[in-house]
Amino acid sequence: MITLEQVSFAYGLKGPMVLTDLDLRLRQGEVTALVGPNGCGKTTLGKLLVGILKPVRGRVQVKGMDTRVTELSSLGKMIGYLFQEPERQLFAPTVREELSFVADLMGKKEDGSCERVKHLLERFQLQDFAEDFPFQLSRGEKQRLAIAAVMVNEPEYFIFDEPTTGLDELRRKDLSEILKRLVASGTGMLIISHDKALVQRHAQRLIRLEGGKIIEDRAVA
Amino acid sequence: MKTGLSLDPRSKLVMVLVISSLAVWTRDLIILAFLFVLSAAACLLVGSSMAGVFKKWKYFLWLFLAMVIIQSLFSAEGEPLLAVDRYVLVSDAGLFMGGHTIIRFLIIMTSALVMLSSHSRAIIQGLVQWKVPYELAFMVSVAIRFLPLLQEEIMDMMTAIQLRGVNLKRIPLLRRLKTYAYLLMPMIASVLIKSRELSMAMELRAFRAYPTRTSYRTLTFAAPDYYVMAASGLVLAGTAWFIIFP
Repeated sequence: MITLEQVSFAYGLKGPMVLTDLDLRLRQGEVTALVGPNGCGKTTLGKLLVGILKPVRGRVQVKGMDTRVTELSSLGKMIGYLFQEPERQLFAPTVREELSFVADLMGKKEDGSCERVKHLLERFQLQDFAEDFPFQLSRGEKQRLAIAAVMVNEPEYFIFDEPTTGLDELRRKDLSEILKRLVASGTGMLIISHDKALVQRHAQRLIRLEGGKIIEDRAVA
Repeated sequence: MKTGLSLDPRSKLVMVLVISSLAVWTRDLIILAFLFVLSAAACLLVGSSMAGVFKKWKYFLWLFLAMVIIQSLFSAEGEPLLAVDRYVLVSDAGLFMGGHTIIRFLIIMTSALVMLSSHSRAIIQGLVQWKVPYELAFMVSVAIRFLPLLQEEIMDMMTAIQLRGVNLKRIPLLRRLKTYAYLLMPMIASVLIKSRELSMAMELRAFRAYPTRTSYRTLTFAAPDYYVMAASGLVLAGTAWFIIFP
């Protein structure tokens, strides 16, 4: 699904290398956990995979398409990316519009999209907040909304950046259920997380990053 | 490593104020060009790079053309150089005003580069030592501090919109404007939330609990600062003379 070939990255022209000569292949349908200490480059790697950042050396390919020359909108249809802070990807005036944003913008207000929005609101327990301003939701509600918004395009692969940050035990269980359903539907994902319990519960593969390099890449028993 | 003269931010402020005030006052293109050369020299003096300004030359060209056409179309002054029917698209007065606008714009940008060569905390300290009320100076510092954060948030939202499958370059203009309009509300909400949190943090740290403040660091003028301020005074007097008595 996503391959990295000798990828290196630095912020700015004269910045130090954050990631160095990474080779990686992420497969469709597989759940991979990316772990490592703070500042080792996990979020940077996540952004490189979806094409938000472009490598300074090497290349990242998503289903054979080089991210350096592919439009972000095309990549976004294939990969759902959840920001570390969910409010960074919420921008509509209501929760309902957040989910119907693309359909409304493209003028596709057929029954299918309305049904899909209704289904997502119910699936993520957001129907009671449908007309609320997203910024007024709690952290967990914003998280659910952000995931629901990303699922509108039915991407084949997900990248979750620290999805359990700020969630209480109940909401972590809810998130876990959502991830289980995604895995059951054959959707692959990369989970960037410090949450050991989440990683142990869902990951089939573990990649450990340190100092900008992959120091461990193994199957999880 | 930063090169350039280490100046007190107050002397930089004097330089910038003199140059920008004269730029607003004069209508003479030659004096404006001279002021731009001075502001560019000020940039080099403090060690700021103007590369970023010149990389955006295409935007300046569009701005120049837009100003020329607007001035030519709506001003009765000047001799027409390019006309379609009875509409004057380019006149000599339009070229003149376009040149004015671009040079003033460049002066503003280089003046900003001069000020940005000082740390924002030093600028605030300079204002406070010049008896500007601390609250006003702090407002300036907050604005400087939060502008890059706001910029980052806007970029993240633009990225998020594109990741939803919306290609901003390929949708019609009206839909693109509608998309950009989506950014206003979260931006305003984010600013309000940040402001509220900042004000709570400030109150919890006893901001304005006492009528007077002391500063851990104070600024003092050195010889180069006096030379720069004296030179700024001479430039002000000399240029004002040429403006008043052309």
